[in-house]
Amino acid sequence: MAPEEMGKTSRRMRFWFALVSVVFVGVLAVSPVKDLRQEWKQYKRSYVRLAQARPDTKRLLADYRADLDQIWIPEMNVVDRCVVCHQGITQPTLADASVPQPFRAHPPIPHQVKDWGCVVCHRGQGPATEAAEAHETTLAWEQPLLPGRFLQASCGSCHRNNLPETPKLNRGRRLLAEFNCVGCHRLQDMDRPVMLGPDLTNVGTKVSREWLYKWLKEPRPVVDSSGNVTVNGYETEEQPRMPQFRLNEKELRGLSAYLSSLRSKPVPPFQFSARVVAAWEKRPDVVEQGEVRFRQMFCSTCHSLAVTRAGETKLIGGEIGPELTKVGSKVNQDWLIAWLRNPQAYLPHSTMPRYEWSEEDLYKVAAYITSKLSDSDLLSSVPKLDPPVLEEIQYGRRVFSEKGCASCHAILGVTAQKEFGPDLSGLGAKNVSQLEFGQSKIPRDLISYVQAKITDPNSVNPAARMPQYHLKPSDLDAITTALLSMTGAPATSGMERLTVPRTQAEYRSAGAFGEVYERYKCYVCHRFNGYGGDLAPDLSFEGSRAQRQWLIDFLKNPQTLRPTLILRMPQFNMSDREASILADYISMVLQNPTVNLSSVDSKQFTPELASKGKQLYEVKYQCQSCHTIGSGGGYVGPNLNNVGNWMTPAWIEAWLKNPRALVPGTIEPRRAFTDDEIKALTAYLLTLRQSRSAPGRAAEGEGAGR
Amino acid sequence: MNARLPLVLLLAALAGIPGCRSHGKALPSDPLRKAYDVEPDWNDPQRIIPLNYQQAQGKRLFYDRCVWCHADSTPAGPSNRNNLTPAPSLMNDGAKLNGLSDEYLQNLIALGGSALGKSAMMPPAGRDLTQDEIRAIIAFTRAIAQPPYAAPARPGPQYSTK
Repeated sequence: MAPEEMGKTSRRMRFWFALVSVVFVGVLAVSPVKDLRQEWKQYKRSYVRLAQARPDTKRLLADYRADLDQIWIPEMNVVDRCVVCHQGITQPTLADASVPQPFRAHPPIPHQVKDWGCVVCHRGQGPATEAAEAHETTLAWEQPLLPGRFLQASCGSCHRNNLPETPKLNRGRRLLAEFNCVGCHRLQDMDRPVMLGPDLTNVGTKVSREWLYKWLKEPRPVVDSSGNVTVNGYETEEQPRMPQFRLNEKELRGLSAYLSSLRSKPVPPFQFSARVVAAWEKRPDVVEQGEVRFRQMFCSTCHSLAVTRAGETKLIGGEIGPELTKVGSKVNQDWLIAWLRNPQAYLPHSTMPRYEWSEEDLYKVAAYITSKLSDSDLLSSVPKLDPPVLEEIQYGRRVFSEKGCASCHAILGVTAQKEFGPDLSGLGAKNVSQLEFGQSKIPRDLISYVQAKITDPNSVNPAARMPQYHLKPSDLDAITTALLSMTGAPATSGMERLTVPRTQAEYRSAGAFGEVYERYKCYVCHRFNGYGGDLAPDLSFEGSRAQRQWLIDFLKNPQTLRPTLILRMPQFNMSDREASILADYISMVLQNPTVNLSSVDSKQFTPELASKGKQLYEVKYQCQSCHTIGSGGGYVGPNLNNVGNWMTPAWIEAWLKNPRALVPGTIEPRRAFTDDEIKALTAYLLTLRQSRSAPGRAAEGEGAGR
Repeated sequence: MNARLPLVLLLAALAGIPGCRSHGKALPSDPLRKAYDVEPDWNDPQRIIPLNYQQAQGKRLFYDRCVWCHADSTPAGPSNRNNLTPAPSLMNDGAKLNGLSDEYLQNLIALGGSALGKSAMMPPAGRDLTQDEIRAIIAFTRAIAQPPYAAPARPGPQYSTK
């Protein structure tokens, strides 16, 4: 190559080299500029400006660093950079709603942000440093931010026991249990109970084929246009547990044929004695008398009925047993009487108490139920159904197991398919890629998926076997919260140590007490020995509180102690023997160790002391604002008319000292009584006595229905 | 005859209970009562007020302890408010409560009415509730106040000139 050509080439080379160098320097210069303009750095700078504009700049900037901040919790596998932008999160002076996000302080919570970071509760991507990536799901990140209304789900991931601070989660857990979700799904911390839906082995003796057809087609809950759930056409707060299965005409005919043919143990009709029939048969008021008895026995504590008040008809009553407004048109009368006499003969696991009936009462109440709680139009929409033929029965039997009915309803000789529905015990931690959306048109996120599955399973998968639930929005959110809390086994050993396990106590009593306890199902409403329901007062220390004679009187004739209570203890008509067995057990076993019954010498309660106590009660402490004595006073706390016969002196003293030490959830305020004042108040309260026959009746007229 | 008089009076008092409900504005009996992080406006049930964590805790405590006297209708139906003289403030009564500072309300709830020269019927809650719990109740009150509560323009004592 010629030298001049060489020179030409090298000049060209130099030109290109210079150009590339300039471009290279330019590119290098971009990156510091780009770095400076990073989203999180802009937030850092605007936080500094915000702090400088406020009077307490120094404190707001005390921990400020221009770098990335992060909270690192190795044992929980959490790297949390949310505080890079959420700079003011622990600054109490930035709590005001006028402070712009992301700088506003966090509202006070039981955990320290410094120790826990944000994603443990709020989810989202801790390590991300861009707002969009931190808050939402992108392909690269797994967990979207949990919307505020489901936040209690995070509490439940570690706190497996119910907390008072998480009512929504607690309600959701309760609904999961009530709707028997464990019939088909495995759920975290929820065991399969002995009985889910009723055993159907003998259902043919209870209801007709027509009723079964109607029930299967449209189990009672219906949502009207405004979103209210109605049962039998009445608005209600609680949905019945049977969900809606989408069955076609052939399936309906088959299932109703199969079920109505199940009569393995016929019901022998109960023979009323001729005396009772003769006395009541012709009486025009038998139905009214039956209704009075029905109310007196407080059936509505567990069962609701449609009641019209001020032109509005609503279901009113308890939720433990089924709604009964039209039950007279549902069940066969012989079955009804046999059931009332002994529910466990038909359903061994029923929680209905076995009442002690007099024949008159049974006759009257049965007459009331069959004639008043009925609706002749109930089955008018059902097509004519002939007696079932073998083919229909066999088809029905197949549908019964294919639809998963056997998961909740036992039938002698039919075995349920194990794990009928998918395992949901880790549902809350699933990410979107693990969910099967198919062709559905719902948003691709876990919450939409869960809610669509519950309210309209076909919208997710047209072939879904899952039945349909009609829930109010608040209940739907509660159940979603509970499902989201089920994040499966703890991801790290650190998490495992933090988890507060759920305690599930099972208590069965033996001996004479156990027999009465089982007969009247005390545990359905009352809790003691660590087991039982929460509808009625906790009786863990009832033996320290109540005098034995009062207990017997109360068990035989329960009275209203708290006028504001809607649900009352049913009248079981128990015998003297049964009442004293219960009272003995309660007095001996259900004691609080700090209440020493023999420590109080009742001789010290002189009339002078009592009148001093009356002064304190009425003037200084004004207890009458909540408690009733005679005809005056408030009705927040129990009525004290008979407290002298009801409570033991030692309990009253201990209670006045510190009510919450005895009953943790009580709303009775703890006052600063001196010991002398406690003695005086106790002396006064012990003078309040009523004769044994009079009390309680007055309240009955008002409270009977509710 | 004398022995029956209290009985008759009690019956009469109880018969009056259903009537109590018609006074004042009843709380809406809507499903949102069971939702814990929102509260319908007591005067206008269609308006739903969202609650933050602290306010929602306040709602829980309010419906446990305070509602019996500080609302016209309660989860159990009748309110104890009509039994009391002077009648306790409704918890959403902004006209009355907005003028009272957080510190004053904190003391009133913790120490009871008699300590501040108000009705002794208001019991002290300071031995049962923590300061945070009382703050939560106040936060709930502020959230549902009608007319709405506006925090003082210059926030509290932490800004006071030394």
